[in-house]
Amino acid sequence: MYSGGEEMLDDVIRAGADEWEIPVGYVPGMRVPGRFFLSDALAAILEPGAVQQLANVATLPGIVRYSLGMPDIHWGYGFPIGGVAAFSLEEGVVSPGGVGFDINCGVRLFTTPLRREDIKKARDFIESLFHAVPTGVGAKSSLKVSPAALMAMMEKGAGWAVNAGYGVERDLARCEESGAMKQADIRAVSAKARARGIPQGGTLGSGNHFLELQVVSEIYDQTAAAAFGLLLGQICCMIHCGSRGLGHQVCTDHLKILESATKKYHVTLPDRQLACAPIQSPEGTAYFGAMAAAANYAWANRQLIMHAARREFERMFGIEYESMPLVYDVTHNVAKIEEHTVDRQKVRLCVHRKGATRSYGPGTPGLPGDLAAIGQPVIIPGSMGTSSYILKGTATAMERTFGSTCHGSGRVMSRSQAKKKLTGKEVADHLLSQGIIVRAPNEAAIADEAPEVYKPSSEVVQVVHDAGLSTLVARLSPIGVIKG
Amino acid sequence: MSYEELTHTADVKIRACAATQDALFSEACQALMQVMYGGDRQGGTRRVIDISASDRESLLCDFLSEVLYVSEVDGLVFRYADVCLDGMHLHAVLDGEPFDQARHNMGTEVKGISYSGMSITESTKGYMLDILFDV
Repeated sequence: MYSGGEEMLDDVIRAGADEWEIPVGYVPGMRVPGRFFLSDALAAILEPGAVQQLANVATLPGIVRYSLGMPDIHWGYGFPIGGVAAFSLEEGVVSPGGVGFDINCGVRLFTTPLRREDIKKARDFIESLFHAVPTGVGAKSSLKVSPAALMAMMEKGAGWAVNAGYGVERDLARCEESGAMKQADIRAVSAKARARGIPQGGTLGSGNHFLELQVVSEIYDQTAAAAFGLLLGQICCMIHCGSRGLGHQVCTDHLKILESATKKYHVTLPDRQLACAPIQSPEGTAYFGAMAAAANYAWANRQLIMHAARREFERMFGIEYESMPLVYDVTHNVAKIEEHTVDRQKVRLCVHRKGATRSYGPGTPGLPGDLAAIGQPVIIPGSMGTSSYILKGTATAMERTFGSTCHGSGRVMSRSQAKKKLTGKEVADHLLSQGIIVRAPNEAAIADEAPEVYKPSSEVVQVVHDAGLSTLVARLSPIGVIKG
Repeated sequence: MSYEELTHTADVKIRACAATQDALFSEACQALMQVMYGGDRQGGTRRVIDISASDRESLLCDFLSEVLYVSEVDGLVFRYADVCLDGMHLHAVLDGEPFDQARHNMGTEVKGISYSGMSITESTKGYMLDILFDV
C-alpha cells in the first residue's frame, strides 16, 4: 500500500498534475513509455501488478505512442483493466489480452418520461424487471434463437434485434458503430461458441453485470444534458452486460490459436495472456473477425434486455415505448480500427480498450448528427449503490488517449475479502436505508459487489474531468438494482 | 489435497495443493465448480474429457476451459473429476448432476481461465497451483 502520490512506485515519474509516466526500461523490451492518469488520492491504492501489466503492454510490436492507463486502472490479466493501446495496422498486433473474455462488455442508458414520485411501488417494479430479464449463473433465455437468427445476431448486432421487433430504428444511431462491427466473420466463430450463444440471448449474466433504475440527480452541463435528452429528476434505466458465453468462448478459442501464432511470428511476450498476432496475419484477421461477431452478439443482447425493460415500463406505467429513447450504448472491452492523428498525420490504428470507454470529441466522424457539436455521451456506471455519471467526449481525449476515458470505478477489495467482511443481507439492508432496493439471485452476489469494494466513482470521474479526457454532464443516483 | 481463494481485487485467484499432478488438476476443477455453483454438488451424471496440449499449463487451461464449456452447454454441475495425465494427454471422468436453480445459484459465472499469474510448482510435499479465473 502507498499512502500518497509522493510515495508512487519507484521509477514511475510524475508527468502532470494527475498524470504519471512509466519509462522505457521499467520492464525489459518496452518499445514506448507507459502513461496513466491518477490523482494523488487514487495513487494511494494503485496496485504494483497493474503498473507491471501496463508496462508489459508497451513491449508489444507496433504499439503507438504510449501504453495508456485510465484512472480506474487495476490488476487484470494480460492488459490491466483500464488499459488502452493503439497499434499500427502494418507493424502492429491484435491481442485478446487487450479485449478480455467478455468481448464488448458495455453499458447503455435509456430515459423515461417518469419522475421519481411516479415510482410508487418501487419494490414491485424491481421484482417485475428481475423476472423479465434472466439473471445470474445458469439463467437461460426465454427467447427461441434459431441457428439462423444467431448468425444474424453476430453479423448485424443490434440491427438484427431492431429488425426482429426488439427496438426502434433510432436506437441504432445511439450505439457505437451503429450497434454492429462490419468486420464480423462468423466463419471464425467456433461451433462451441455458437452453442453457448443460442440459449443466452437477452440474459444479463452475473458478476458485476446489472440493470439499474436511476434518477437524474444533478446536471453539470445543461447544453450537453439537453442534447443527450437528460432532465433533472427523470427516471432512467442503465444496463451493463456483454457477449455472454459466446464471447468468452471466442476469447478462449482464439487465445489458443494466437499462442501458436506468437511463436510463429517470433514475438517475445512477458505474459502468455498477451498472446497476439500481426493484425493482417491470417490468425490476427480470424481473431478480429470472431471478436467483431461476438461484439455484435453483445449489442444484440443489450438491445434485447432494453426491450424487455421497456416492455415492463409500458406495462407498469402505461407509457409509450417510443417515449423511452436510448441515450447511448458504449462498449468497454473491444478492439477497433479507428482513425487518429499522430504527429499531425491521420492514421488508421487498431485501438484496444480493455475496461476503458471511447470518448470521441466534437466533430469526430461516427457520431450521430445531432451530437456532432457536443461529443459522444460517455456512460460511467458507479458501483452498486453509488452514483453513475454521464460525461461527454472531448478533443483532449482525441489528442492524448486515442479518444478514450475510464469505464467505471475499479475494485479495491477482492471478492473473498468482501465476503469475509460483509454479508449480502447487511449490504442490502444498508442500501435500503438509503432508499436503494437490491434484487439478486443470491446474497453472496450482493456482498461481492458492495459499494465498499470499489474506488469511489466520484473520484475516478473527477480525474478524467480534470484531465479533460471526458467532462461531466450529469449524475445519476440509484433507486433499484438488479444484480447479475 | 486442498484449495483456497487468494486475494485478488478484480478476479478470483485460487491456490490448490495436491500430492500428484492428477489430483492437482482435479482440485482445480473442483475449485472452478465451487466458485460457479457453491458447495452443494451431487453426482450421478458422467462426462468424459480427452485432450492434448503442448505443455502442462496449456493442458490445465484447456481442461478447465472444456469443463466450463460442458458445464454450460449440457447444464451440468460437477462434484468431482477423476483425472489421469499421461504426458501431455489428459483423460478425465467428471461426475455431476443437472444444474438446479434453487441449489446452484450461490456462485458467480467464470468467463475464462487466464494464463496471467498461472504457476504450477513442485516440491517434496507435492504440487502447488496458482490460477486466475476471470469472473
